[in-house]
Amino acid sequence: MRRYLSLWAEFFLLSWRRRPLLTAAALAAIAGDVLALAGCALALRAAVDAIVAGDTPGAVTAGAVAAVAYAAYLVLRDLSGLLRSTVVDRVGRLDLHPEVYRDIAGLDGIEHLERSDFLDRVMLVRASPGRLVASLWNAIMTVANVAKLVVTMLLLGTVSPWLLLLLLFAAVPVWFDHRGQRVVRRTELDTAEDLRLEQHLANLAVGAASGKEIRVAGAGPELVRRQAEAWRRATERRVRAHAIAAAWRFAGWLVFVAGFCGGLAFVAYLTAQGSGTVGDLMLAVTVAATLRQTVHSTVASTTETAGSGRLIEPYLWLRDYVAAQRAAASGAVEPPRALRQGIVLENVTYSYPGTNRPALRDISVTLPAGAVVAIVGEYGSGKTTLVKLLAKLYRQDAGRILVDGVDLAELSTTGWRARMSAAFQDFGRFHTTFAETVGLGDLPHLTDRARIERAVREADAQELVARLPDGLDTRLGAELGGVELSEGQWQRTALARASMRDDALLFVLDEPTASLDAPSEQAIFERYMARARTLSRATGAVTVIVSHRFSTVTGADLILVLHRGRLVEAGTHDELMALGGRYAELYGIQAAAYAEEPIS
Amino acid sequence: MRDIADRMRLVRVLAAARPLPLALLTAALLIQSMIPAATAAALAFLVGELGAAAGHGTADLFAIAITPLGAFAAVLVLGHLAEAAVAPLEQLAAARIDGRHRTEVARLVTSSDTIAALEDPRTQILIRQALADRSRGYDRTPADGALAQLRWAAGLVGAVAACAVLASFSWWLVPLVLLPAALNRVIRTRDNLKLIGFWREATEGELHADVWRNAAVSPAEGKDVRVFGFAEWMVNRMQEHIHEANRGLWRHIDRMLRLSWRHALIVAAGLVPAYVAVAMSAADGRATAAVATAVLTAGWSVFLVLGPSNDMYDIVSAIRVLRATDELRAALAERSPAVRGTLPPPDSPGPAPLVRFEKVSFGYPAAGRTVLRDLDLEIRPGELLAIVGLNGAGKSTLIKLLAGLYRPDSGRITVDGVDLADIDPALWREKLSIVFQDFVRYQLSARDNVALGQASLPADQSLIDAAAASAGLAEVLDRLPDGWDTPLSRSRSGGVDLSGGQWQQVVLARALYAVRRGARLLVLDEPTAHLDVRTEFEVFDRLAANRGETSVVLISHRLSTVRQADRIVLLDGGRIVESGAHDELMALGGRYAEMFAIQAERFRRGHDDRIEEVVRP
Repeated sequence: MRRYLSLWAEFFLLSWRRRPLLTAAALAAIAGDVLALAGCALALRAAVDAIVAGDTPGAVTAGAVAAVAYAAYLVLRDLSGLLRSTVVDRVGRLDLHPEVYRDIAGLDGIEHLERSDFLDRVMLVRASPGRLVASLWNAIMTVANVAKLVVTMLLLGTVSPWLLLLLLFAAVPVWFDHRGQRVVRRTELDTAEDLRLEQHLANLAVGAASGKEIRVAGAGPELVRRQAEAWRRATERRVRAHAIAAAWRFAGWLVFVAGFCGGLAFVAYLTAQGSGTVGDLMLAVTVAATLRQTVHSTVASTTETAGSGRLIEPYLWLRDYVAAQRAAASGAVEPPRALRQGIVLENVTYSYPGTNRPALRDISVTLPAGAVVAIVGEYGSGKTTLVKLLAKLYRQDAGRILVDGVDLAELSTTGWRARMSAAFQDFGRFHTTFAETVGLGDLPHLTDRARIERAVREADAQELVARLPDGLDTRLGAELGGVELSEGQWQRTALARASMRDDALLFVLDEPTASLDAPSEQAIFERYMARARTLSRATGAVTVIVSHRFSTVTGADLILVLHRGRLVEAGTHDELMALGGRYAELYGIQAAAYAEEPIS
Repeated sequence: MRDIADRMRLVRVLAAARPLPLALLTAALLIQSMIPAATAAALAFLVGELGAAAGHGTADLFAIAITPLGAFAAVLVLGHLAEAAVAPLEQLAAARIDGRHRTEVARLVTSSDTIAALEDPRTQILIRQALADRSRGYDRTPADGALAQLRWAAGLVGAVAACAVLASFSWWLVPLVLLPAALNRVIRTRDNLKLIGFWREATEGELHADVWRNAAVSPAEGKDVRVFGFAEWMVNRMQEHIHEANRGLWRHIDRMLRLSWRHALIVAAGLVPAYVAVAMSAADGRATAAVATAVLTAGWSVFLVLGPSNDMYDIVSAIRVLRATDELRAALAERSPAVRGTLPPPDSPGPAPLVRFEKVSFGYPAAGRTVLRDLDLEIRPGELLAIVGLNGAGKSTLIKLLAGLYRPDSGRITVDGVDLADIDPALWREKLSIVFQDFVRYQLSARDNVALGQASLPADQSLIDAAAASAGLAEVLDRLPDGWDTPLSRSRSGGVDLSGGQWQQVVLARALYAVRRGARLLVLDEPTAHLDVRTEFEVFDRLAANRGETSVVLISHRLSTVRQADRIVLLDGGRIVESGAHDELMALGGRYAEMFAIQAERFRRGHDDRIEEVVRP
């Protein structure tokens, strides 16, 4: 609870500092709303008293005041609603939104994007920072409603102090409701996976790319059936949870109604005993009827506030996670201007979280400065994992990685990454202009046309650009009215992006040409080998090429053969061929395919 | 008229909720909306009884109060019961309505035979509108609209009930209160709808921010964001888009806030005369205190029931969703062939069909460029045919035509002499198995991922096992924690992500399963791009051994794998320019020989490079 309060205090200060006028107006409207209610109640009592007393001028005045108070109450309620929502909207979008995304995108590692339990929470938070801010205003509304409740109780107290006991009865529905909401909350989390699956299947069913295969395989009906099934599984559980919550809510109300009507009977009894008047009873009824309204909205806002844990918990988790990750990433050493020795791996072991089989096991090897290092191996052998460790996207469980003798963990992550460049197998597809998607590879040169054009040439993509309707300024991605690229074309954008930086110390090409045809692959490989040599001369850069195509790696200075997470062979092409081990065998298979006479 | 038709449509949508929940929900909403009026009436009853008793001394007062108090309690209990019941009932109804709607959209789209419409970006926009993604916050589903309409109608009934209470004092009180209340609602609804207009603009504008929002949470984009260090730049870009998108909306809201005094005036204009009149009459003794209480309570409940709500937004948005669904249906119908083939594929004399492309020309409507030009091609029964060509030569297009996913602009494709256009596409596709370059990665179990290669027949585990063995999938399976039952996505609990190469093996198993299920023509579009050498070699070995009498069409730009084919055709400029076995084409010394030389050269050059490296300083 204390964490919630301090979070809300933080949000409030944020609102107050950034949107003072709207925040003040919203608070004023909420306060006015409480006062208007008391005004209504008092004016109404006066009107009823005057009516019973036959006091026409008094009744007329009180009636008019009651009407105006009601008008003010109604308008203030709407106004405070609009004010609240727009404050929430603006603070959420303009002030909290960037912070949340800075947290998500700014983390050094990417585990929070790869683990489903983490990703669930990240997705909840990122869905709407506005709803986080809204939770603050819900809390404020809860306070305002409690204030309203107190005002109502004070009014009731003027009839009989015993009626104050009604507050206890009013508390019961709030508590019961809270219990019901807990069930709903848990169920929503539990069913998120099924709804995600439903969304995935629906997207496949209606997607243009997936449409081909689905039709040929006749999988449409089956997909739709499974989609409906996932939907049904999730929603059935959610409906059940809501039914349980409704039962709690109704039980709470029953208790309140019993107390409420008991109170009214008590006042009627007092009146019968002669210690009250009929007017008192009518007043009690009228005011207590408002109490019902007030408890009603208190329950509503409390429910909402209690429900806000749904978002706040993942958000607090994210902030703790970010804080922990930042604290752990203590490195502040800037990388050297140029590599002299190279990158040394010492007994590096890494397992994906939640698995017990290491993806990399006890890897020790030196990647000499200036070398082109190829990592080969069958799929799942740990090639990409190794590359991710070098990029500090993961942190090894055991062992060290040294860059010119400095532990990679000690290096500033930002500084190290600023000196690397990479094209990954599952590269990013940024739906912006072609120029930008390339230029992002070196932020300071984002608008440097000459540099971008050079990078486009490096990736052999100038023909592709020439065919685009607006050349480099063509927008990519169909959903914003841009051009949709093919797999191979996207791959060229990634390659071009990786070619932007000139001063890299580490250059990674992770299966960079998988979707390209032979002449293209050839042209690109020649360019990138040349680039590796240029970088090597300039900064002693290590170029790491991940591939399963042996033809592409024979020219490497060092070839690492990975097998099931272990480094089984390392050496030059000739050394490994002479060794006659795994590499030689695999190379032989593919080389045979190009031999004058195929070996079968 | 269209509005009324749309509104009726929303009513019909409710049917999906099924009668019992719908009846219960309607009852609960009606009860809920009548509670203000009923409370006013119960209150008047209580005050009336007590007022009447007051004249006869106070001794019986308690006894007299019990009945009206009981009535009052009954109203409250009923009201709360209704209120509590609404939430789960609405959930249930929404689950059924939206569940039906979503499957209907998916069914609608998947049941179109060709994909011409599907690949049109405009259709994709309609699909997105029709699927109404609630997680976006501003989208409303058909259930949202239908239920809002139900609430709205119940609210009207509540207003009528409140007016009836008012009429117990005098009939003219009804228009006196109702007219300002109605005016208030009209103005507020207009303001709100305008607000929604700006909101839509804002949300559409924010799609530009979504590009970066999605990039921020995607592991693929996430790697690039980190390596190239543009997280901060990305956040700033998002914020620029958000500012830009919301400017109009926020300006409108500021205006609404400034003009809110108008609403206070209207409400006061409705309530002041009514309250003054009833207070005056009651104080003068012309009306009872009970009636006065009833009017004072019911008067403002009219404004409550007719107050502003989001119902109108839900209704309007849901109608838009339903219209988008109609347009989608029309768009799919418009682009599908006028006549659907009905013939079964002819019984081939041989083990596999003879397929001929006869002078086939084709171009994508949007691109305005002819991809295939008078193309003639034969796929002979049982042969292993390789199609090679540069990226963009039209290899994949050719496959789409073969599968009937597009119809040729001119020329025809025949299967054992019968025009493909006359054959039932579903039956023809049972004879086909295609591995597309952008194959589907189902976030389902490994078993489903294989079995969905031929989904029109029930899954057969022994055939699945056999296909997996032929595809060399066993090693992948061994590593899966739950074997065949492991979901192939880390976003599923207990699921794992496969690498590109592992996926390709799964997909090969999928294709071979379809073959074992009766497909007679297997097409592989770049099947080994992600496979490592050993696996690639094994796959082709296995494929050659396991294809039986099935024809195989292999599309590749990896010429080392292609040379094993019985026949190789080279596609260039929308036509077949070379055709023959590997040795024949090499002897021909044309484009194929040139391309092969480039790839083979790389192996030789690999050694040359090595020698250079040794002398490198």
